[in-house]
Amino acid sequence: MSLTRSIAIAGFVVAIVACAVVEVLARRRDSTIPTLGEVCAHAIAYEVGRVPVGRIGFFGFWWWLGWHLFAR
Amino acid sequence: MEELELATTDAPPGWDRAVVTLPVLGFLSLIGGQLPSYTTRANVYTICVGGAMLWLGFTGKVRRPLPGRLGPGTTWWLLPIGIFGVFEGSTFLLGDSPDFPTFSRLANPLLEDELLRSAGYFVWLTSFWALVRR
Repeated sequence: MSLTRSIAIAGFVVAIVACAVVEVLARRRDSTIPTLGEVCAHAIAYEVGRVPVGRIGFFGFWWWLGWHLFAR
Repeated sequence: MEELELATTDAPPGWDRAVVTLPVLGFLSLIGGQLPSYTTRANVYTICVGGAMLWLGFTGKVRRPLPGRLGPGTTWWLLPIGIFGVFEGSTFLLGDSPDFPTFSRLANPLLEDELLRSAGYFVWLTSFWALVRR
């Protein structure tokens, strides 16, 4: 395995572990960090005028991600 | 009377409970996990299941109330998102090769196994379900 491939794998693992750590910290009592679900809820609710930009962006991306991973 | 009517309207549907939705999503994932990539069946199935989720998300049938304001600690989320973005972006720009693999290139060999593929499908569907309820 090449060094660059190892670094890339390590980078993705660090990102996933960091995500889990922040989520655990967010679930502590009196934490000022919101959970990932709360952050997503606010981003999804974002609208420009009457256009639900957050919904279009999040749902569209997640739909594409599933198609990208499981259909092609 | 008006308040009672509003409360009834805002209440989630009776089937919107984990004991109902998780087995349904699990069943859909088992089917999806059996369909190999680059086939018409896999494309149609994924587009239809995702489309149904999209429809539920836009109609707001299962939407929950927005939680309170975000606290000052929100910026902590930039750390994992930033790390992931740097590695995904740089490997993509460097050509997405075995030496510079993107996340999906690393996931592809794992998703060839039917059980892992079904598990991945379940993660995708349950997180999609969590998003449409927001």
